[in-house]
Amino acid sequence: MSTQIGHSPTRLAAHSKPAQLPNSTHVDSHAVTKRLQSELMSLMASADPGVSAFPDGDSLFSWLGTIHGAKGTVYEGLSYKLSLKFPTDYPFKAPLVKFETACFHPNVDQYGNICLDILKDKWSAAYSVRTILLSLQSLLGEPNNDSPLNAYAAKLWENQAEYRRVLHKKYSELQK
Amino acid sequence: MRSAYAGNESPARAESSVGAISHQQNAETFTDGAESRPLQSVGDHSVGVSFADNTLRTSVNSVSAAVGDSVDEPTAEIVSSTPILGPNQGEEVSRPTDDQIIAQENSIRAAEAEKMPFVGTVEPLSALEEEYRQGSFVFREKIRSLEMQYGSMRRTRGDGNCFFRSFMFAFMEKLVQDNDLTERNRVVTCIRQWKAKLIAVGFQELVFEDAMEIVIDQLNSLGTTEPLNVAQLEANMRDAMLSPMIIMLLRMLTSAEIQRRSDFFAPFIMGMCDDEISVEQFCRRYVEPMGEESDHVHIVALTNALQVPIRVVYLDRSVGAAMAGVGYDSAAVNHHDFVPDALSESASAAAAAVKPRVHVLYRPGHYDILYPLPVTAADSTQIASC
Repeated sequence: MSTQIGHSPTRLAAHSKPAQLPNSTHVDSHAVTKRLQSELMSLMASADPGVSAFPDGDSLFSWLGTIHGAKGTVYEGLSYKLSLKFPTDYPFKAPLVKFETACFHPNVDQYGNICLDILKDKWSAAYSVRTILLSLQSLLGEPNNDSPLNAYAAKLWENQAEYRRVLHKKYSELQK
Repeated sequence: MRSAYAGNESPARAESSVGAISHQQNAETFTDGAESRPLQSVGDHSVGVSFADNTLRTSVNSVSAAVGDSVDEPTAEIVSSTPILGPNQGEEVSRPTDDQIIAQENSIRAAEAEKMPFVGTVEPLSALEEEYRQGSFVFREKIRSLEMQYGSMRRTRGDGNCFFRSFMFAFMEKLVQDNDLTERNRVVTCIRQWKAKLIAVGFQELVFEDAMEIVIDQLNSLGTTEPLNVAQLEANMRDAMLSPMIIMLLRMLTSAEIQRRSDFFAPFIMGMCDDEISVEQFCRRYVEPMGEESDHVHIVALTNALQVPIRVVYLDRSVGAAMAGVGYDSAAVNHHDFVPDALSESASAAAAAVKPRVHVLYRPGHYDILYPLPVTAADSTQIASC
């Protein structure tokens, strides 16, 4: 019998497994859940300031995250909730990440959609939940004003004092 | 069909500009406010946008893949028959629903898998000749010249990962066929040593550990009672999870090699990219993401990362060798040997003395695997070195 090396991306107990036909359109979800579990453990073990995330309910494929605005930026002192939805072929495809807390920012639209290349065409499996959250945290303080989703915020960015005023006003309205 | 092309033409770059257009379009849609939104509901909005973006990209991919697969040959079908959104239609107001998009993505994936698996079967080189039956004279002559050196080929899917996939398949297939335990031991040690080097350039262990284990386990099955065989290697390399895992690892090794030797690679990278881009940014954008095409830089890095010499044979319309007029046949096929630094330095003779382990055929935009004929003394003079 031929050796089946596959469908078991953990240690290969594959040598004892019967040969199966590989299925080229279906992706084995075991590898995805294993990766997501590793990501969760690494996030919990790491002490990255101002970012956290945890599965939302029982599914490992849907997480809620929080990022805090970095010190020294207009977002300092503000925190934002995010949702992360992982496709079944994660990490080969990016998770769908959205701001759940309304976020006034040049690269975030009114529905929480984010324009960030690493979440779109420049995604790679080398990114993880941790690096996504850190990238979003730095995006807050360093927007890409060349391709804004929120043109008003992009324009306002030049005037940091006014930007801070509008940002904090919008943020405090949310808290009511 | 392309009327003229440069060897370094990269569909990947074209793709990013399409991405930019779609972002722009999204931006307009959003800032116009809720009234003008073409999508059904707020809840579906983000999904719609995200998938719309992907679909646009997928459609571009499949078109460029089709072009890549059929460079310059009129007998093959250029555009996929699957109904896909072209870049132009994508800009129009009406957008498909999420379900339609997902169904479409699935059908594209299924159609592609059916049309061309990640790696094909071994075909005689006459298949290539057949492909160019009505093609240019230069191509047909070059294929005839290629047949002096190579007996058969194996196609790979034109999805932007074709170099990595061709490389890894050809490398492992040769190990399996030769049951070459010396080379196996060397490469397993080499891969294990990359763990610390990957971490040193900033990769989290969790992003590569599974893939590394998979590759090492496959290699380590050689010499056991149940060694990996070619049929199993084919199955693994066609698998929807294993195949991208393996490519992902190679992309990370390539990226790490480039970053570790950024002084060496920086000038090449500056020469390739129009905008100012750091070595790290280059790796993030053009090496690590799946589907980004491989260029010279990627091949130089990978050949060094794994210490595996690679020969790339170029099948294009150039008649450079003929023009040079140094006794080569007018249809001589150019090739380039990528020799790992350590090997070329240690070999006292010329780098040419290092025998390539992997042979790939490059047609502008695409790589396939080539299988050399058993070597005879006469063969070595047939191919002009470039």
